[in-house]
Amino acid sequence: MSDGSTRSDGGVQSDRHEPELTRGPFQRWVQKSIKDPKRVYRAMFYVATLFFLVTTLFPFYFLLVLAVTPDTGSLAVLPQLSTLEFGVFLDVFDRINFLRYMLNSVVLALSTTAIVLFLASLAGYVFGRLEFPGRQPLMLLILAISYFPPAAFFVPLYQLFTGNVVNGLSLYNTPGAMILPFSSLFMPLSIFILTTFYGQIPDGLEDAARVEGTTRLGALFRVIVPLSAPGVATAGVLTFIAVYNEFFFSQLMNNGQPENWAPIVGGLLSLQRAGQFEVTYGVMAAGSIIAVIPVAILVVVAQEKIVSGLTSGALKE
Amino acid sequence: MARVQLENVSKHYDDVTAVNDMNLDIRHGEFICLVGPSGCGKSTTMEMVAGLTKPSEGTVRIGERDVTNLPPKDRGISMVFQNIALFPHMDVYENISFGLRLRDYEKEEIDRRVDDAAEVVELGGMLDRMPDEMSGGQRQRVAIARAIVRDPDVFLMDEPLANLDAKLRVHMRTQLQRLHRELDTTIIYVTHNQAEAMTMSDRIAVLDTGELQQIAPPLVCYNEPANLFVATFIGSPSMNTIPGSVTDTGFSSAYGDVHVEFDPTAVGVTPGQEVTLGVRPEDVYSSDLRDEVAHSTQAVSTRSDVLEPMGDEIFVYLVTEDVDLGGSMEEGSDPGEILMSVGPDSDITEGQDVDVVLDRSKLHLFDENGDAIAHGLVETPGAGAAGEAEAEGDD
Repeated sequence: MSDGSTRSDGGVQSDRHEPELTRGPFQRWVQKSIKDPKRVYRAMFYVATLFFLVTTLFPFYFLLVLAVTPDTGSLAVLPQLSTLEFGVFLDVFDRINFLRYMLNSVVLALSTTAIVLFLASLAGYVFGRLEFPGRQPLMLLILAISYFPPAAFFVPLYQLFTGNVVNGLSLYNTPGAMILPFSSLFMPLSIFILTTFYGQIPDGLEDAARVEGTTRLGALFRVIVPLSAPGVATAGVLTFIAVYNEFFFSQLMNNGQPENWAPIVGGLLSLQRAGQFEVTYGVMAAGSIIAVIPVAILVVVAQEKIVSGLTSGALKE
Repeated sequence: MARVQLENVSKHYDDVTAVNDMNLDIRHGEFICLVGPSGCGKSTTMEMVAGLTKPSEGTVRIGERDVTNLPPKDRGISMVFQNIALFPHMDVYENISFGLRLRDYEKEEIDRRVDDAAEVVELGGMLDRMPDEMSGGQRQRVAIARAIVRDPDVFLMDEPLANLDAKLRVHMRTQLQRLHRELDTTIIYVTHNQAEAMTMSDRIAVLDTGELQQIAPPLVCYNEPANLFVATFIGSPSMNTIPGSVTDTGFSSAYGDVHVEFDPTAVGVTPGQEVTLGVRPEDVYSSDLRDEVAHSTQAVSTRSDVLEPMGDEIFVYLVTEDVDLGGSMEEGSDPGEILMSVGPDSDITEGQDVDVVLDRSKLHLFDENGDAIAHGLVETPGAGAAGEAEAEGDD
């Protein structure tokens, strides 16, 4: 082999005898990688990262492009800057009461989060700190609820909330029609997270609180919850985001009017209708981007707590 | 005012009985230690007084009030925990004032009391520290301050010194005794460390397998143990136990030739009965010193096996001659082995033949169930002065 590479006559080598001379950059890279597999892992890391960045960020980028391209203009992946109109973000608020929709969403998400955190704290305390027969089956049952498709609950709940089951009980077009199903659907995950956290608080601390003068409930909210702050934050943020992003009940449990507690999804659909007979992608896209902002801020602020809450959660005595 | 009574209290878990038919009557202002090996039920007993565990049967009274079904907060108690259990998210001030704030005390009153409590445990100037910025001893003092600040009727301590290093433990021990004198509160103290129990308490309650073995002042537990368990548990190193049987003229050991002469009927045993003779290491003397012992037994010929020089004294493991110790590696005192403590200037060497005598006034006799029959076997058969001598021995 080595004699082949030193041939001076410039004759064409056959692959069978002298593979080295035909190697391109890729083959050389492969050769090095076989000696040093870390290069492959590094390359795979970049490929995977790039893939996820493109798949997650491209839709967002294109949403932006969609928003700022005038309805008369033509869409392009790389639009010309001179043709763009940024006034569309103000149009969103001019055409409909979009702020009210956002407020509705935030209020719905916050109330659901408060209800879920309170009830899940009680349940988490029971599942995490008390021994009783049937604890595991009950926990599994609660978790199983979160695996059900929400659509399965829709028809009975719709009948109930529109007053067709119990006379005089009509929750349709009220926040209750959304907060109730949201709370029950997102509760299991929070119970699960809080159970893990509350179970890790040393018994001695709870005993100390009870001897010092609290009830069991007092010990939960004065000692166990504050010490489980990362877990509570995680459960809270996940619930908030899940409710804020919810589509199914949000769209079906009201008639889409802001004064009837329709959340953002209702607002986006109104933006579509606001264009009468044309499809107004521009304002809808702009509305979507505005709607993302509260969640984006929340995630940035709470990111550290969520990460620490999801990964560790251990508290040392 | 703060008498604590346990009446026929039992605690059963699924298939384990943690505490069995416990009766305790703790007087106001008493410092009482619950001692016993791990798993003897001492912590469970304390938790039942605290209200953290509910007894399966029986009644708990604090200051003549039936508190069996009351939650911990309504029992007028405070507690120091083995793992200290300071609230990590609160600073020292908040930790100490936690109970006061829950009871809606005035701000000035809280400040005054916290300052006083911090003064008692010498924590002045540290009130704004967080628990994780403090050393183990400081944290323990915060825990004690938190317990005394509410001025409780009963003060419960569950091995509060167990996690401290040896030097600090001795220091805190004297601090606690001083505290008890100042506070004039009933203190129930759980420990497995018999040195703590001996030095601090007014009375010791010795527990084993969930049952009360003896409750008495420390020196009574030491000098007149109610049974074999108390005899071997209290005192370090523990008492020698020599199995044997009663003969017509006294006691004869199963291994070696330990003989003690006494009148079986005067002591209340019958010849042929299986008994155990107990003698503490400091009551075993070399036979050279037999004249210095007021009531000595016959000499027992032994061989010294292992020496343990402690500095102020030497522990000598003696083997009674006809026992082969080679195979026995079991824990606890070997039936043919006698531990003797001698002065630091003793010239005993390993493997030497030693004749020893026992101090008859310090001998203990236990029946086959381990219950004490007699303490001090001074009287000899037919000796007129026996009664007088025994009275002296009991003293």
